[in-house]
Amino acid sequence: MLKQKDTIGGITVPDEVQEKLAVERFYYDNKIVKMFAYATILWGAIGMLAGLLAAIQLYLPGANFDTAETTFGRVRPVHTNAVVFAFVGNGIFMGVYYSLQRLCKARMFSDKLSKVHFWGWQLIIVTGAVTLLAGYTTGKEYAELEWPIDILITIVWVIFGINMFGTILKRRESHLYVAIWFYIATWVTVAMLHIVNSFEIPFSAFKSYSWYAGVQDALVQWWYGHNAVAFFLTTPYLGLMYYFLPKAANRPVYSYRLSIIHFWALIFIYIWAGPHHLLYTALPDWAQSLGVVFSVMLIAPSWGGMLNGLFTLRGAWDKVREDPVLKFMVVAVTCYGMATFEGPMLSLKSVNAISHFTDWTIAHVHVGALGWNGFLTFGVLYWIIPKIFNTNLYSKKLANTHFWIGTIGIVLYVVPMYWAGFTQATMWKSFTEEGSLTYQFLETVTNIESMYVLRSIGGTVFLTGVFLMAYNLFKTVKSGSLVANEAAEAAPLSTHQVIAHSDKHWHRWIEKRPVQMLVFSLIAVAIGGILEIVPTFLIKSNVPTIASVKPYTPLELQGRDIYVANGCYTCHSQMIRPFRDEVARYGEYSKAGEFVYDHPFQWGSKRTGPDLARVGGKYPDSWHYNHMMDPRIMSPGSIMPAYAWMLDKQLDTASTGARIRAMQKLGVPYAEGYDKIANQDLMKQANEIKNNLKKDKIETSSTAEIVALIAYLQRLGVDIKKSGDAAPLQ
Amino acid sequence: MSMKNKSIKLIAFFAAVLPLGALAQDGPKMNEAKSPQAIALCIIAALLALAIYVAAKMLVQQAKANLKKIKKSTATKLVSALLFVFLSSSLFAQDAVVTDDAAAGKTEIVKAAIPLSSTSFYVLVSVIGVEIIILISIIGQVKSLMKANEEAPVAENAIAVETTEEQLFSIKKIWGKLNSFKPIQEEADIEMSHDYDGIRELDNRLPPWWLYGFYICIIFAVVYLWRFHVSHTGPSSVQELEIAMHQAEEQRAGFLAKSKNNVDENTVTQLTEASDIDAGKKVFTSMCAACHAADGGGGVGPNLTDDYWLHGGSIKDIFKTITYGWPDKGMKSWKDDYSPLQIQQIASYVMSLHGTKPATPKEPQGDLYKEAGATAADSSAVKDSALKTTTALVK
Repeated sequence: MLKQKDTIGGITVPDEVQEKLAVERFYYDNKIVKMFAYATILWGAIGMLAGLLAAIQLYLPGANFDTAETTFGRVRPVHTNAVVFAFVGNGIFMGVYYSLQRLCKARMFSDKLSKVHFWGWQLIIVTGAVTLLAGYTTGKEYAELEWPIDILITIVWVIFGINMFGTILKRRESHLYVAIWFYIATWVTVAMLHIVNSFEIPFSAFKSYSWYAGVQDALVQWWYGHNAVAFFLTTPYLGLMYYFLPKAANRPVYSYRLSIIHFWALIFIYIWAGPHHLLYTALPDWAQSLGVVFSVMLIAPSWGGMLNGLFTLRGAWDKVREDPVLKFMVVAVTCYGMATFEGPMLSLKSVNAISHFTDWTIAHVHVGALGWNGFLTFGVLYWIIPKIFNTNLYSKKLANTHFWIGTIGIVLYVVPMYWAGFTQATMWKSFTEEGSLTYQFLETVTNIESMYVLRSIGGTVFLTGVFLMAYNLFKTVKSGSLVANEAAEAAPLSTHQVIAHSDKHWHRWIEKRPVQMLVFSLIAVAIGGILEIVPTFLIKSNVPTIASVKPYTPLELQGRDIYVANGCYTCHSQMIRPFRDEVARYGEYSKAGEFVYDHPFQWGSKRTGPDLARVGGKYPDSWHYNHMMDPRIMSPGSIMPAYAWMLDKQLDTASTGARIRAMQKLGVPYAEGYDKIANQDLMKQANEIKNNLKKDKIETSSTAEIVALIAYLQRLGVDIKKSGDAAPLQ
Repeated sequence: MSMKNKSIKLIAFFAAVLPLGALAQDGPKMNEAKSPQAIALCIIAALLALAIYVAAKMLVQQAKANLKKIKKSTATKLVSALLFVFLSSSLFAQDAVVTDDAAAGKTEIVKAAIPLSSTSFYVLVSVIGVEIIILISIIGQVKSLMKANEEAPVAENAIAVETTEEQLFSIKKIWGKLNSFKPIQEEADIEMSHDYDGIRELDNRLPPWWLYGFYICIIFAVVYLWRFHVSHTGPSSVQELEIAMHQAEEQRAGFLAKSKNNVDENTVTQLTEASDIDAGKKVFTSMCAACHAADGGGGVGPNLTDDYWLHGGSIKDIFKTITYGWPDKGMKSWKDDYSPLQIQQIASYVMSLHGTKPATPKEPQGDLYKEAGATAADSSAVKDSALKTTTALVK
């Protein structure tokens, strides 16, 4: 207490100075915190419901309801985007708007910007969900939103940045607390990732092609994708942990120097690890190796955060037994520790060879999403709502019930997924003594279907907990009243600051300088990206060209866009890794040069269905036609949704020219003026397919979407089969 | 006390010498380091070495506390010094192995994975064994020293109040040491003099195991990059495939040589045993029926019951068709899905369908096939018309 008296805003102030300082009175904006909190709960429930639907669709194909909008390939991106950007996004803003004001001893910079930020973000979410369901997608995971929304995201993110920095600059606290370091790094890195990965050429009001192609697109995308996990799901939540955990436990943070080391090491190393999503692919080996080693080096910085969280609870473990808020936080931090240890293990090539493309990845992700993000959000919600409504939690018992239900939900979710992933990988790789594959792909799927059922039960249990929380918090809100403007007092920052002895730590220098903090963070995160991405783009040998690889025909291009729009990549990879089993099952392993015209790349990250990189020519046109109409006709037991509507839906041939022109701008070598005659070629090829189908007694319109899709599928992977002599096909 | 020191010295000596021995053993057969067994064992050995190092540090601390009367605890210092040598030499040993591999050249990699010779294996295992013994003995020493240290102050001054359970040796204590925890009562010493919205910060030391773990990860990174991109002693992804294919081919050849699977399109004969026909039928109804209908009447694929064949109707022709497929006509190759025997069974089943009456027969396709004349491979069949023209559309 004595110490409290001598320090104002964290600085020890001699008596004579203290007298000169007038204590200012100001108000924290709790209303914006409330709005973000409500949005978090709402979108959390919606995002998880979408996930549950997608989970059920994996064993009940009928749950796709035979319409494009409700089919798995579109529901799954809605689930991931809703959970990441709507649930966790609003959770971040809720926590940041609450803690930043208090850590800066200042109201948010501008109430108006806060509101614009809030409503802008909700607008992004709603338009995002609607456009994704309508089939407007870039086809790049977690960056699926199309170009107008990308621009909107950039604007809203900048508004958030101005509001945050405005608050930091007008703070009444001389130094920035570790939570704010994480907020700053989050802001600058997400801005960088989003902008670089979203470079695209629009060809219509809601559709564009990725600026990058093939290997390069893959590298940029997973540099983004991995760091979306790092800087959207991890660093801001570490910031929240650093504020809410010591607050809830009423214990000092364990180690200041650990904070410093793990913060800088984490942001510097994290950015390099993206290529571990592309092990054994056509990405150059050196980039893959960088992904591996930086992932391994990431263990310690990640665990630094976990240790600082858990050790802060030293001496408060008796409270953990009582307080649901702390319980949630402890499990959250533990899940963080597990996921960040598992991640580097999955980055080792020998482990990745088994885990990648299977449900193992899904399990890993959900330890992080349900455990770390979910539980930390719940903990923060249970803590914030009673605080800003100046009341007590309606029912501690219900919150404890939520805790147990949630924990059981996580276990029921992830254990079947680990099991499914490992089983399926083993079956994929199994050979008979005669040297042939032991299992057909479909057998490996039907074998794990029961695990999919269990997983959806786990998800349901977890979601039930969320509803319990919503009820509990609703009752809490009812019992109190919002303190929209919470009074606080602090002295303004004076020019006559006296530096205390403990402030001589070298790192204190940057803690007083938010702009330098921003710049240094940007430098730390830019290095890894630049050193990996630039050489891949500039050095020719990284993507050896293959003469026989030609651009897609107009019909194939249309078909490809249908493939992208329907999220086929959420279940089918187009990347044959150099493994004996994959070469036996799918054909020659994929080469970098095969993807040079793929804007965007479609390598995928999960094989719920078989790889399609060389499906071209494997089956007759009529097989594809029947299979798309009802997959179970051609492969009994298949869990693929039916795409019967594709047989009638007509192609948008009016946009063929625009598509070709956009591709030309991206450097795809179509002849000058080809956009004007592209539709003639399109019709010619479509009629060929139509006639082909006719031979097998199938009548179809030559401009039905199915025709274009068949053209695309039949083209996949066939170019490389042509010898050098057959190449000149001008 | 002197006995104890002697034993420590002895242990340390062994610890320092053994890995050198291992290095010498490995010397002439450097390429054994490529074997995954060797790598795994080396990693285990290195981890144990680290554990020994940490434990030894604890021992030194305890010993220091214990030997206050003896001015210089040279013995314990010696232990840590020797252990350090041991640790670094074992790391160096790995490095040396890697570099020598570089000289050996990378062509060797493509050969099947090198098995670990039994001598190397036993040497590595015994190193690990000795390490475990050392670790256990050090922990035992730490334990007894800790006990002694705790009992001592109680005996010396009765004022020490904190003599309850906490004083006893426990996992908690070791945990505390591993993390170099400061007792909560002494927290005030390391508190930073600032607070943020009531949040105070301590400045605890970095947990030693965490810090050393970080160093190890960095060393791992350097060695990994060195191994795969400088010395090229680790196989690239594509080389891994070559190795796997090579091994698989050998295994397969070995197996086929002594089994009735040893058939190909030149030696295949029609099977007539009911069990073989049934086996063929089973595969046919599950896989082939999608295109050829369950009764062979055809659908997407041709009718298999009539007299007309696109690619010949002899057992050899059918076997060949199933094995290699006619990809441009939609018939995929099944040789990676089914064994030669299975394909023989399927082909025999297809032969048995000849002349049956399917429910909805497809119109005849191809040429009339007569049993006697073995038709030559239909060269005109190799038409990749569809694909060629589609690509030709693009200028």
